[in-house]
Order: sequence, then C-alpha cells, then structure tokens
Amino acid sequence: MSDRENRLNRAGSIPVRWLRTLGSFGVASARHAGAAGVLFAAAVLALRRPRDCGRETFVQAKAIGIDSLPLVLLVAVLSGSILAQQSGYQFNELPMWIVGNAVASGMLTELAPLLSAIIMAGRVGAGIGAELGTMKVTDQVDALRTLGRDPVVELVTPRVVAGSITMIPIVIFANIAGIWSGWLTAILLLPMTTHEYVYGVQQYFHTPALVFSLVKGLFFGACITFIACYMGLRAEGGAAGVGRTVRNTVVAIIVALMVLDVLLAPLYKLVS
Amino acid sequence: MIQIRGLKKTLNGKKVLDGVDLDIHEGMSLVVMGPSGTGKSVLLKHIVGLFDPDEGEILVEGISVPHANNTEIREIRSQISYVFQSSALFDSLTAGENIQLGLPAKHCRRVAAHTDLLVREAIGHVNLEPEVLHLLPAELSGGMQKRVAIARAIVGQQKYVLYDEPTTGLDPVNANVINRLIARLQGEIGATSVIVTHDVESAFFLGDRIVLLADGKVQAEGTPSELRESSDPVVQEFLHPKLEDEAVVR
Repeated sequence: MSDRENRLNRAGSIPVRWLRTLGSFGVASARHAGAAGVLFAAAVLALRRPRDCGRETFVQAKAIGIDSLPLVLLVAVLSGSILAQQSGYQFNELPMWIVGNAVASGMLTELAPLLSAIIMAGRVGAGIGAELGTMKVTDQVDALRTLGRDPVVELVTPRVVAGSITMIPIVIFANIAGIWSGWLTAILLLPMTTHEYVYGVQQYFHTPALVFSLVKGLFFGACITFIACYMGLRAEGGAAGVGRTVRNTVVAIIVALMVLDVLLAPLYKLVS
Repeated sequence: MIQIRGLKKTLNGKKVLDGVDLDIHEGMSLVVMGPSGTGKSVLLKHIVGLFDPDEGEILVEGISVPHANNTEIREIRSQISYVFQSSALFDSLTAGENIQLGLPAKHCRRVAAHTDLLVREAIGHVNLEPEVLHLLPAELSGGMQKRVAIARAIVGQQKYVLYDEPTTGLDPVNANVINRLIARLQGEIGATSVIVTHDVESAFFLGDRIVLLADGKVQAEGTPSELRESSDPVVQEFLHPKLEDEAVVR
C-alpha cells in the first residue's frame, strides 16, 4: 500500500474503526451465543445419564445451596429491614400497614430472588469460574476427556442442576428472612403493631407472587451456574487467565441477571 | 497401530505442524523430541482427538480420529492413556480416586473390590506406598504427582500410553527415577509408548525409535544410534549442546 493510500486510510479511519469494532463485537457475540447454545444443549442432553452425574449433583447442591445459605439470609435480613424503614419513613402519610405490603411485595418480586442471585454470583459463580478455569488451564478438563469422561456430564450438568434446584429453597428462606426482619424493624423502629404489619403482608401476599419469586430463583440459579461453567471452560493463559475468567464471569452473570430480570418481569403479570 | 499422514495445524496464526507423517507400530517406544514450541504436545493431542487437524489424517487402529463420531472417539480413547506434562491430577480427589479414574466407569461400578486391587497394584508399579492413595495431589511432591499420573495411565492397561514431557519440572534425580520407571513399565506392561520430550538424554534412554520434530516437520527419524550418527545438520545442532556438555564433563 502506498504512503498516499495509508494517509487516506488514516484520515477516514475513525468511522471505519468504529464499524470494525462493532463488527468484531457482533462476530464475537455470535460466536459466544453459538458456543453457549451448543454447551447448553449438551448439558440438557446429559440429563439422560443421571447415573453419571447424580452423585456430583448432590455434592454441588450442598456446596452451592447449604453453604451459601448463611450469607443469603444475612443479606435478606438486612434488605427486609431497610425496606421496612424506608417505606415507613417515606409513606408516612399513608396507613402504616403499607409497610408490611411494601416489604412483602419488594421481597417476593425482586429482592429475595435478585439479591440472593447476586450473592450467589459472587460466591458460587466466581467459585465455579475459578475451579473450572483452573481445571482447564492445568489440563484437568483434557485429562477427563482422555479418560473417556465427558466434561459436560461430569462438570457442567451437575452444577447447573444443583444451582437451579437449590435456588428455590434459598429464595424461600430469603423471603421468610426478609419479611421477618421487616416485621422486627417495623415493631421496634416504626409506630406500628404486629397486627398492622401482618395485615399489610396479607393484603399483598398471593400464591402467584410466591410462584413468580421461585420461578425467578430457578432461572437465576441456572443462569449463574451455566455462565460460570461456560466461562470456566473457556479459560486459558495460566493464573492470569483464571483471574480474568473469574472477573469476566461475575460481570457476565450480573449483567445476565439484570437482563433476565427485565425479561421475566412480564411473567408476573401473566401469573397474577 | 497409529498412522499420521500430512498432519497440519496452525494455532494463533503460527504454523505448528506442517505436514507430519508418522507410523507408530505396536509394542514400540517412540520418542518425539525437538526444541520447545515445535508442536510435540500438539501432535500428541491430535492422536487422542483433543485437537482437530487443519489438514491430514490420524488413524488409530484404522479409525480416523478427526472423523470419528462420539462412540468411535470413546473407543479410541479407551485404548490410549495420556500422561500430561502438568500431571493433571484432579485437585479435589485423592491419589487413589485419581488412579481409579483410569479404569472404565462401568468396571468401577460392577466390581468395586477388584477396582481397589487394581489401584493398589498400579501404585505398586510406580514404586509408591499404598498410604499415598489417601492423600490429595496438593500433599504430594512433583515427582510423586507424576508417578500417580503414570499409575492412572497404566491402571486400565490400555494399548497405547502417551507421555507428554514426563520429566519436565523435575530435578535430575526425580527425572531419572521417572525415566527408569517408564522404561521398566514398557517392559512389564508391553504397551506402545509415545514419549514427547526435549531432553536428549531421556530420548536416547527411552526410545526404540526417535523422531526429531522441528519447524512443524519430521526432520529426522531413526533408531538412537542412527540419529547419533546422522550427518543432518539439524540433528547435529539439536544434539550438539549435549555433546558439548559431555566434552566438558570429560
């Protein structure tokens, strides 16, 4: 290419560079979507082999669910308390039972599933990303393949199934903890009685709201563990690569959770 | 028998393998040596189907690895065991559980007592005490990890054992132990071995035949004595530093 052509290229390079960046982003996104789709299909097909992934699913369910519960409960208690205080202070011209209503609706529809999921993204998502990423860069995933084992059956499906299932009881406990702490806060810090609070909760509470909360938990659990597995299995480049994988995993999960939350919002209208 | 024909592979824009032809006959101990980064490990990974070639063919017992379906690839892998450069032991499993993974899953489910016996036999083969079976990889030294990895590779008595840089990262004493172990196992289990190394001394100690890989191609192939006597400047250049060292020692 001549100097003149080079100069011309540089002169018109900003829009070209933008287009190129946009194009590369589009291609990379399509590649990720394709690869993730293939992995997801393989993970679903692996469900046909429960004997091969059953034991690991129980191990993962304990690690993902039971071990995460204390932290999730702590955050749920704090968020229920915050919700009660804020609604009590801001809706002070309305009847006080509105506090119970606000806490129940806030916890059931958003805070219990979403905050639990964000805790799980940091604790479980990062953990899975690091574990699988390390396995990938130290050849353990390849070793599984050479030993005739399928990494999807051994690593991905158990984690996704365990993550999805355990999120349901986790969200139930988070709901209970949040509504309970809202009550405690209301009777201790706000000028209201237990009766008023319970009345407010009853005014909001209906089974579809609970179902919506649990369905969200299920989707969030699957989303967290699947993204973590996908990112972990794509790790490369030693310790630095694992570090990058963990960071990208947490970011990707949180973005995906928010997008999923937006997409699932109309479901509430449908179920209620 | 393993046959490799016209194998080409480019990784990250670099031509790693550029038309490799190789025959690995049953019972032989073939050493693939060459400088670092010349595609020795990539070649091994093609044999077990961890990499797909850009061009060329790999046949294991007459089955094409690049074109194998899932059942065929499982069949191929059931005949090959692989010792990774990094040992690749599973961190969360004990040494015994790691070795057990070398056995077919169905076998473990059906005959649990026999499985235990085979695992103990394998750990004995690599000169480790049975107490090691209960330890996690993190509790083992580098040399012991390598030996557990070799035990995992031989426990299933596969037809082919592929060793990827088995002595890398080990001190000379442990490297020597591993080399002697591989040579002894070759005699005892009679498997076909393919050993990748850049260590000339190990190559001449272990190989019935030696292949020198350079610039993605087979530069030379022959018995250890043929290679020593080769007038090929590439071979001599690779062997030369060793000869110089010997001269210094003398």
